[in-house]
Amino acid sequence: MMTAINRNEIAKGVFFNSIKDNRFKTMKITANMIVPLTKENASANALLCGVLSHSCKAYPDFTELSRKLSSLYGADLGTSVRKIGDNQILRISASALDDRYVFDGDSVALELSELLCNVIFEPNLTNNAFSETDVEQEKRQLLDVIDSEFNDKRIYANGQLIKNMCSDEVFGIKRFGTAEKIKECSPQSLFDTWKNLLKTARFEIMYVGESSSKKAEEVFANAFNGIDRQPQFVNTEVVREASEPKHIIEEMELSQSKLVMGFRAGTSIPDEDVNATRLMCAILGGTASSKLFCNVREKQSLCYYCSSSYDRVKGIITVDSGVEGDNIKKAEQGILNEIEEMKKGNITDFEMNATKMAIVNSFYSTNDTVGGIEAWYINQLFDEKFQSIEEISNAINAVTKEQVIAAAQKITLDTVYVLKNK
Amino acid sequence: MNIQEIKSQRIGDSYFKIDHPTGLVIYVYPKEGYNSAYAIFGTKYGSINTNFSVDEGNQITVPDGIAHYLEHKLFESEDGDAFVRYAKTGANANAYTSFEKTCYLFSCTDKFDESLEILLDFVQDPYFTAQTVAKEQGIIGQEIKMYDDSPEWRVMFNMLEGMYKNHPVKIDIAGTVETIAEITAEKLYEVYNVFYNLNNMVLCVAGNVTVEQVLKTADKMLKPCEKHKINNYFEDEPYEICEPYIEQSFPVSMPLFNLGFKEKADSMLDVQKLAYTYILLAMIASQTSPLYRELLDNNLINSSFSYELFEGPGYCSVIFGGESRAPKQAAETIKQYISKLKNDGLDEADFEISKKSVYGDAVSSLNSVSSISNAITDYHFSGIELFSYIDAIADATFEDISNRLSEMLDVNNCTLSVIRQEE
Repeated sequence: MMTAINRNEIAKGVFFNSIKDNRFKTMKITANMIVPLTKENASANALLCGVLSHSCKAYPDFTELSRKLSSLYGADLGTSVRKIGDNQILRISASALDDRYVFDGDSVALELSELLCNVIFEPNLTNNAFSETDVEQEKRQLLDVIDSEFNDKRIYANGQLIKNMCSDEVFGIKRFGTAEKIKECSPQSLFDTWKNLLKTARFEIMYVGESSSKKAEEVFANAFNGIDRQPQFVNTEVVREASEPKHIIEEMELSQSKLVMGFRAGTSIPDEDVNATRLMCAILGGTASSKLFCNVREKQSLCYYCSSSYDRVKGIITVDSGVEGDNIKKAEQGILNEIEEMKKGNITDFEMNATKMAIVNSFYSTNDTVGGIEAWYINQLFDEKFQSIEEISNAINAVTKEQVIAAAQKITLDTVYVLKNK
Repeated sequence: MNIQEIKSQRIGDSYFKIDHPTGLVIYVYPKEGYNSAYAIFGTKYGSINTNFSVDEGNQITVPDGIAHYLEHKLFESEDGDAFVRYAKTGANANAYTSFEKTCYLFSCTDKFDESLEILLDFVQDPYFTAQTVAKEQGIIGQEIKMYDDSPEWRVMFNMLEGMYKNHPVKIDIAGTVETIAEITAEKLYEVYNVFYNLNNMVLCVAGNVTVEQVLKTADKMLKPCEKHKINNYFEDEPYEICEPYIEQSFPVSMPLFNLGFKEKADSMLDVQKLAYTYILLAMIASQTSPLYRELLDNNLINSSFSYELFEGPGYCSVIFGGESRAPKQAAETIKQYISKLKNDGLDEADFEISKKSVYGDAVSSLNSVSSISNAITDYHFSGIELFSYIDAIADATFEDISNRLSEMLDVNNCTLSVIRQEE
């Protein structure tokens, strides 16, 4: 069973998506603001997202806003910034206990929708500028986040792969931009960033809950009244084939080395064979019965983790592993061998069926959490249309072995990044 | 067979506790309208249980990291690997070892009965040989090294080293490359036979399932166990910490800290004390608190700041931690704030806000079949019931929380652990 989605365009390029579901104790409303990823604006957008979520005109003080949220039964106002292809997705979400479970008959859902609207449309401004203290605080925290990505060497190594592999592409820009650009932002410049965001971003508002979303939809529709909307869209640049593979080695005082390999998949949305590539990538390294897990980990005992993932918007496949410094070559060869096997057609019926089942199982599981339901649709933002779990599951189940082999034959190695222990 | 329905008047949910004749306690929490089911088969046996006896026999000492090693090896049986069997049902399977328990789990949206059968079968069917044990050295060796490179992991274990003189909670769950080299098939069988006894285990299922369904497979698969008395030995642990400050340099660009308050741990916290502690900690250190604001305004923390109650058999502490460019100052600010609260008393408005917030979090966790199963498993091993925890939050009074503060968070008994940047 899949919960149905109701989608309305409430202003130009502003979509209100509601999913009524009575199984959960909580409701959640999220504003996803989608803008082109650019060197010029990525940092300012990311910074703005944080500034907006920490205060508003009605609650100009961070602590007061936090106390308001907590008194709504631990409501949460969260932000995230990510990139999907050549787009930056800025997201502010509010979640809280559903009205059925509160002590004194309050309507948390409506109050929270209004609050989310407030932080986006009625920020804490003085003379067309944000508060200097707020902006400085947010800058410091965002610079910390960038630094902390270096603390986790698996995240760092994956970031380094993309940075090197896509150095000449928009996708090579980091989701938060650069530290330099963050430092350049001012309370005045962020005001322009904000105005520009309201005018040009594509908005996808998602509402999941038992309570009616009608009022929340009205609140948002009113908020967009009088805004001259000129939404901007970009198409993601896809490199279909790699030329000579690049090898990059960085050394550091570590116990374990990290190996990350980046491939051009040769397939991305809206190509018809994305589902074949999806299945191919999962057979390679997406499950605990995958080729990489069974061979590189279990048979060769080279690593604790070795897995692959497919970015179907950008058309990239990455394989990452943590290995002993002396075993890097062996692991790299082991991974390439498994891909070679797939290109030659060495895929069993068991692998086909087991992987299909695992994928379909993971799809249906997402429908059991509020966040999962929302993510299901957000992950399809750049597909031609929203499809249900059943529709995509059917498409995965219809993929043939020949199609998987064809998908494997399309992939080419672009970049190998190694973080080597000294 | 005794089947008890446990119902929450407040929330409207209910679940079932079953005392199975084989000695196993089974919990089933049906979730209407859900696609998935999530099952955990767990034993009260973790990394700290390295010294024990059975039926008052000789005291036995085993190598550090053996519980975790056993978890990896149990997936293999004579006729293959459990992951390969699960691949036929589509279930997503995993396992984890913590300080005080080992859990095997799966989630699925189809073929639940078959998956449960696999789970109950492989966990009850050990198969260890010299060759299969040797093969795992490389895999677990890399797992250990991955954690050695994790600053979050190191900052915590360094803190535990500083806090605990004797308790094995300070030892890495996976052991070290040296201690796991001592592990043999014989030793794995020895600990398996002691701790993987159904009387020492629990099965917990939540989601798209019924009691009848679970019992049908359980009746078929569970092998009756004779009950034994297991004694776990921990050397006496003094109240006092060992070291107030420990630091290590690391290739990081954001320094980290953990400030741990060592608490009395003669017995596990009861359900009231547990609820009161969480409300108290939210009052002290959540984003709504004056302390959080002070730390933020002085640039001493960022959004990574968090706090937790860290409790198990023979150990209990409260940990505040996160990234900070001035960890010593952050720790000093936290200690001063707590001292001030102890002198001046708590604020009643803070209490009302934090109580609602902790209550909201607890009820929200009932959304997720994995949260439910994990929580019931945890609570089972510490003798607590899930809904009574939620009731204890809702029924907490300001005086309860004030009393709780007076008996914990001794600012003269804490360890600060810092991971600083390499120079």
